[in-house]
Amino acid sequence: MARNDSPVASCPDCEERRTAEDPNEVVRFYRRHHAVTGHDVVWERPPSLPDLPPNADVEDAVAALGDPDAALGTVAAAASEWGWTVGETLDAVHDRRLTGALWEPRDDHVAVV
Amino acid sequence: MTRWNDGAEEVSAVSPDITDETNALPARYFTDPDVWEMEKEKIFSRYWVYAGHENCIPETGDYFTRTVGDKQVVVARDEDGDVRAFYNVCAHRGSKMVEDTPMTDPGNMGRIQCPYHLWTYDLDGDLRSTPRSFEEASLNPDLDDADVSGLDPDENGLMEVRTDDIGPLVFLNFADDPPLTLAEQAGKLKTRLESLPLSEYEHARRYVSEVECNWKTFGGNYSECDHCQANHQDWIRGIQLDESELEVNDYHWVLHYTHEEDVEDELRIHDEHEAQFHYFWPNFTVNMYGTADGYGTYIVDPIDEGRFQLIADYYFAESDLSEDEEEFVRTSRQLQEEDFELCERQYEGLRSGALGQGQLGPNEHTLHRFHRLAQEAYDA
Ligand code: FES
Ligand SMILES: [Fe+2]
Repeated sequence: MARNDSPVASCPDCEERRTAEDPNEVVRFYRRHHAVTGHDVVWERPPSLPDLPPNADVEDAVAALGDPDAALGTVAAAASEWGWTVGETLDAVHDRRLTGALWEPRDDHVAVV
Repeated sequence: MTRWNDGAEEVSAVSPDITDETNALPARYFTDPDVWEMEKEKIFSRYWVYAGHENCIPETGDYFTRTVGDKQVVVARDEDGDVRAFYNVCAHRGSKMVEDTPMTDPGNMGRIQCPYHLWTYDLDGDLRSTPRSFEEASLNPDLDDADVSGLDPDENGLMEVRTDDIGPLVFLNFADDPPLTLAEQAGKLKTRLESLPLSEYEHARRYVSEVECNWKTFGGNYSECDHCQANHQDWIRGIQLDESELEVNDYHWVLHYTHEEDVEDELRIHDEHEAQFHYFWPNFTVNMYGTADGYGTYIVDPIDEGRFQLIADYYFAESDLSEDEEEFVRTSRQLQEEDFELCERQYEGLRSGALGQGQLGPNEHTLHRFHRLAQEAYDA
């Protein structure tokens, strides 16, 4: 059973909510939801994470987490501080991966190169 | 007889006769991951499944994707105005070609192009062009350009998936040789839906919810209204449950509900003085409301054995909704939420493993039909 302070993400269009113990659950939820609706998902109550510099780039979010192997969901939760949606964060990660700034050591985890 | 998993471990196939004591699908078929693996083949790759609504892709090149189990198709309007479906898989080396594209936010493309090595297909699936590196052998010292024969556009085209429709509703069948035509599977449902002006209505809303239970748990809940009195207080007002009727056909069943007060004629797409809820095996419903001039569909889309997505679409005369229509959709959403809770609670019980095989009541003949169809599919 999820505790009532568990992290929560939701779709503002459908009001569909997801309570997640594992932040990457939100990434999977976003992908399924986006695939059939085109809707984006936002963190309603992100897990508590270290503070980020304001308006930085997605690598800064990954770096600030201090984890050599950060879960995408955690990165999205951190970037929600800047008002980013889950979709925006994943798109940014995708772009940065293609330019070589981030790499993905294993599924749905990223690290700064 | 209810069969508990109390050491006896005794279950049987769903009996053809509802009065037998083994009239329900054994509980394991709702909770076992291997069963979901089997269903992908024996159910979702054999029967006709709903793909989407063709009003959403009116122009040549409009397309959306649809995922069924592990398979994904691109559903597109071709140059001749026909709707066709192709596996979203490139004929070169099998890459997925287009990104996930929902029916509610369709894409448009002149040709289908694979981003990996740029093989490009016409909207009829034929290979249209390849980069030069596929036409000459400059990098291969063992071959002359003249040895390269070129690729046959038809032989190297996309793999098409069989489609058919009922009015604007497009269905897919993944079987090489489907056991039934869509007309056979739909039976009377086809005639009934085709007599309605479904094409004149526009897609207005889609809501998608993820629910923590097996898809058949929700399918079963949709198929009966014995739970309504206790659980849908708002909805039940205005409905004459004792005058409702349950109709069972080969691959679909219908719940008819009469309204307490006569509903105004403008508020109904169909003539009869009732609402009709059709469940179409395996995972599609068509909801004809008694109190709104519009209709709805549900796709009960499994994610795995323990989760599904309910994709709820609403169609009205115009896609901009009036206050009343908004209110109608809100009520419908509330009904869904109430049902999700019931289904998740039932599923928690099923997952405990205590129940071996439940027991259906004599008025749960719609459910019995549902369980029988599952049993038949597993045995096929
Ligand atoms: S796999 Fe599609 S072009 Fe190579
Ligand atoms: Fe219900």
